[in-house]
Amino acid sequence: MRAVIAEDLALLRDGLTRLLRDNGIEVVDAVDNGDALVHAVLREEPDIAIVDIRLPPTFRDEGLRAAIEVRERRPETAVLIVSQYVEQAYARELLADGRGGVGYLLKDRVMDVDAFVDAVRRVAGGGTALDPEVVANFVGRGHDRLERLTPREREVLALMAEGRSNASIADALVLTVGAVEKHVASILQKLQLPPSEDTHRRVLAVLAYLEETL
Amino acid sequence: MTDNGAMQRFRRTVHAAAWAAALGNALLVVVWATTGGGTFWPKWVILATALVIGVGWWIETVDREPRVRVLLRGRGLALHAGFSVLLALFMIGVWLCSGLGYFWPAWVILALGLAVAAHAALERSVRDEQLQERVEELTVSRAGAVDAAEAQLRRIERDLHDGAQARLVALGMNIGLAEQQLGKDPERAAEHLAEARTAASEALKELRDLARGIHPPILADRGLGPAISALAVHAAIPVSVGIELPGRPPAAVETAAYFVAAEALANALKHAEASRIDVDVHERGDALVVRVLDDGRGGASEENGGLHGLRQRVEALDGSLRIASPEGGPTVIEAVLPCGR
Repeated sequence: MRAVIAEDLALLRDGLTRLLRDNGIEVVDAVDNGDALVHAVLREEPDIAIVDIRLPPTFRDEGLRAAIEVRERRPETAVLIVSQYVEQAYARELLADGRGGVGYLLKDRVMDVDAFVDAVRRVAGGGTALDPEVVANFVGRGHDRLERLTPREREVLALMAEGRSNASIADALVLTVGAVEKHVASILQKLQLPPSEDTHRRVLAVLAYLEETL
Repeated sequence: MTDNGAMQRFRRTVHAAAWAAALGNALLVVVWATTGGGTFWPKWVILATALVIGVGWWIETVDREPRVRVLLRGRGLALHAGFSVLLALFMIGVWLCSGLGYFWPAWVILALGLAVAAHAALERSVRDEQLQERVEELTVSRAGAVDAAEAQLRRIERDLHDGAQARLVALGMNIGLAEQQLGKDPERAAEHLAEARTAASEALKELRDLARGIHPPILADRGLGPAISALAVHAAIPVSVGIELPGRPPAAVETAAYFVAAEALANALKHAEASRIDVDVHERGDALVVRVLDDGRGGASEENGGLHGLRQRVEALDGSLRIASPEGGPTVIEAVLPCGR
């Protein structure tokens, strides 16, 4: 797998590069600003771009904007945003095209190396990886379309949003995989998502969740 | 006129002067009549006072017109003086054309000059009073701002000390222990490393919360609308957010407005037992208005440290904070923050 990194702090850029290389992911370019990211992606055609939100020159949300531009100009590029903070609004913007291959994680998650590398591979493979902090406010809040879900189904949806597989959700909630599959089917049906490939529907379900909570 | 206060006093002065002139002139007429008539000499005094009062009356009348008032702002005295000079020149012209007799315009010029001098004195005294009030206001709000900043720094220091710093010490300790155990007992070393990682996560979380409390990233990135909407998302009861802003206000105003909304929202959620909350942000003149209304049980007071801190924060920017929260509700918290544009 080939990755491009955009991170302005050299310490983190080098650390991230080493972490990915040690785990068999080729880092083809590591840049420190949004424009350079877009150029690097168009030149190197990587599988995934790993991008910090806050980049020069204004240190606001350049990284997010650059990531969205990358998705427009080369849609097959997966994008994983890493940041010191998470905002639901940003997650929704990233997911807005409903295509998956998008992740949004706190930088803290890098510390759990296996889980982080797993998330990189999952996003590169077209899945999602939303930080638990993004989904934290999900359970227990009433929103029109989500009202129809049972509390258990909301828990399952929150874990789906993190990008977890059915097996991993089953582990987390101490359920059988069969039970999780049933919940997932029920969620997709209640959210009235059209039948299509499973990954895609899961992304749409997450997007539905984000739209309802904003 | 510098502002309404000066104009009101000017108006009162003109009215008082008009009455005084009417009385004085009547008295002169009586004196003239009782001293046997003859040449009607009081006409000079009547002419002079009528002109002076006329000028004053004219100025205070045009000042009632809003568009003129905008033009006049701070230039009332200049207008008065200029008009008086024109009038004096006109009188001298009349005197020149009428054959250079007795220099009667002297009386008119004297009266006009006295009136302008009185007007100047009045403006100066109003300005002095206003300056004095302003100095007092600023002294209080500056002391409040210093207190608020000091309290906030102390809180940040304490949070850093008890939070992230302590976690980093634990982190370093665990890494040290792991280093020590690495050769002897790799399993123990792995445990220490796992603990170190936990400490690092917790330190990060605490630093993030602290940073958010100082200046939330989404506020810097996107401005008030998205930042306040993000607050509303986290609320457990419905919050309607209405934000109408033509552009981004100055950073200090934006931050203060955000914290007014955040604190008022947090209060309503914590204490008010409200069923809905409205947050409204709009511009009024050159000020930003933040209004948070909840239909809860009311009784919010500044005894609550948060609201007091808010007042200091708002007043430090020369703004004002109004808290209306009768027992039984509803509660309205409104901050008006001048944008200085």
